[in-house]
Amino acid sequence: MSLLKSWKFWALVAATLVWARMPWFVQNNYQLQVLFRITLFAALGLAWNLVGGYAGQLSLGHVAFFGIGAYGLALFHQIPLPLWLSLILAATVATLVAGLIGLIAFRLRGPYFTLATIAFGEVLRLTAANLDVTGGAIGLTVPSLFHGRTFWRQFYLASVALTVIAFIVNYWVSRSRFGYYLLAIREDEDTASAVGINTARSKLWSLLLSAFLTALAGALYGSAFQFIIPDSALTLEISVQIAIITMLGGAGTLLGPIVGAALLLSAQEVFKNQFRESHLLIYGVLIVVVVLFLPEGVVGGLERLFSRKPRAPGSSKPQPALGGAAQ
Amino acid sequence: MTPVLELDNVTKRFGGLRAVKSVSLTMNAGEILFIIGPNGAGKTTVFNLISGFLHPNEGTIRFQGQDISRMSPHRAAQLGIGRTFQIVKPLPSLTVLQNVMLGAFMHTRSPRQAEEASAKILDFLQMVHLSKFLASGLPLAALKRLEIARALATRPKLILLDEVVSGLTTSEALALAALVKRLPEWGVSVVGGVEHVMQVVMKIADRVIVLDYGAKIAEGLPAEVVKKPEVIEAYLGPKFKELTQ
Repeated sequence: MSLLKSWKFWALVAATLVWARMPWFVQNNYQLQVLFRITLFAALGLAWNLVGGYAGQLSLGHVAFFGIGAYGLALFHQIPLPLWLSLILAATVATLVAGLIGLIAFRLRGPYFTLATIAFGEVLRLTAANLDVTGGAIGLTVPSLFHGRTFWRQFYLASVALTVIAFIVNYWVSRSRFGYYLLAIREDEDTASAVGINTARSKLWSLLLSAFLTALAGALYGSAFQFIIPDSALTLEISVQIAIITMLGGAGTLLGPIVGAALLLSAQEVFKNQFRESHLLIYGVLIVVVVLFLPEGVVGGLERLFSRKPRAPGSSKPQPALGGAAQ
Repeated sequence: MTPVLELDNVTKRFGGLRAVKSVSLTMNAGEILFIIGPNGAGKTTVFNLISGFLHPNEGTIRFQGQDISRMSPHRAAQLGIGRTFQIVKPLPSLTVLQNVMLGAFMHTRSPRQAEEASAKILDFLQMVHLSKFLASGLPLAALKRLEIARALATRPKLILLDEVVSGLTTSEALALAALVKRLPEWGVSVVGGVEHVMQVVMKIADRVIVLDYGAKIAEGLPAEVVKKPEVIEAYLGPKFKELTQ
């Protein structure tokens, strides 16, 4: 198999192993928690990348699936159902809801689609805040998936596993016909349908895959912190953060979401400790700088720098990001 | 033999404007038909109706005998109707080869097979040397060919070329026309749309239909059609019609 001969593959395997061993290098649970958040948001970014990166549909409603994952795990477990079954059921429900949202929101294009996704997330937040079964504004206790003294370490390993799964899904998409279809949709929907691509169906599939992974991450998050309220598990901030992480790292690239999560979240932690209240200002400036000077994200920009695709003479327009699928 | 394409009294309205007024036409396999007409005559609307991007208000469109009046664009494409766009729509961040592969994916899941099929088409359109270039940097003449290549890669039975030569220099237009004339070798019939590059139309069209304000005003062999008074009137105004009489 050619994959086993590729140095990139082995480099990734080595990086994953080092990454998974990180808990043995850190001193306390705070640092482990930061690592957990980074890894979890890398998985979330990779999940979002399918819709927002490859298919180019800027969703700011992914917190809906994230929240359904967390709330679903808590609610199914209350019934009571076994813990791991509850997890799968929660992700399944999120996928079904994604189907419903997709059928409605994908009728809209561009900014209208984005607005619709924000609305769905907000509707869900308000619903959770006002229903008795979800505990209203007081929230719910989420069962912990792991126990014992080393439970943070286990949550961390679970988040690494989820990131690996999300990465494999992204890799498969980037190499397949489905991935090409999504790229075509991102570039021009009319052209895509003129070559026989069922654009509605392809977009929907990308959203379903993305929602399932996002819900698993949401459940993991809720379970790790053991308590969720609408303003923590269903807030627009999470949707925005997932999108920013991916775009900063490079939307439509394989490594972008991981790099984005590592850069943005670690910067956030450092600034928070160093500059207290003014950390948001620095964070904002950082985002503006990246958007101005690296519009394709860190990975997209580096890729272009090192493996330039030739351009026909006489063209001077800057190139948009060339996705991992394009290599 | 059933005709490849039949339009039967097709009308399309945009609000109060009748962009296409009861147009009927029939075309046979292997034919090259050109729809000509001044700017705003309804050519692009006819192409959009045939390829499913618009649906007629009245009348029916049949493709190989099957009613496709209400079909969605991707279904029409899957049936065998390929099209190019008047305003070229390349996928800019993909290479030329990848653009064409997108069409070829209609018949295979494997990127490798799609690549092979696309290479043959790029060879036919004499743009192999451009395969690895990004589509975004190409000059217009190459983009027009790329549009045709991508449509041809879906192995269509009918290909709609909206304004294939508009914006090209005369020599570029004639070179492209020579390729369009060879398209029936690939088993496709061609409907071309052209505003006024009559040199091209005269050279390659088997038959010409003239549209003016959405209505068909003339039909026939290219050489005959251009002499008709109503065609001259549509292009040059009533004064010139008198001169011909």
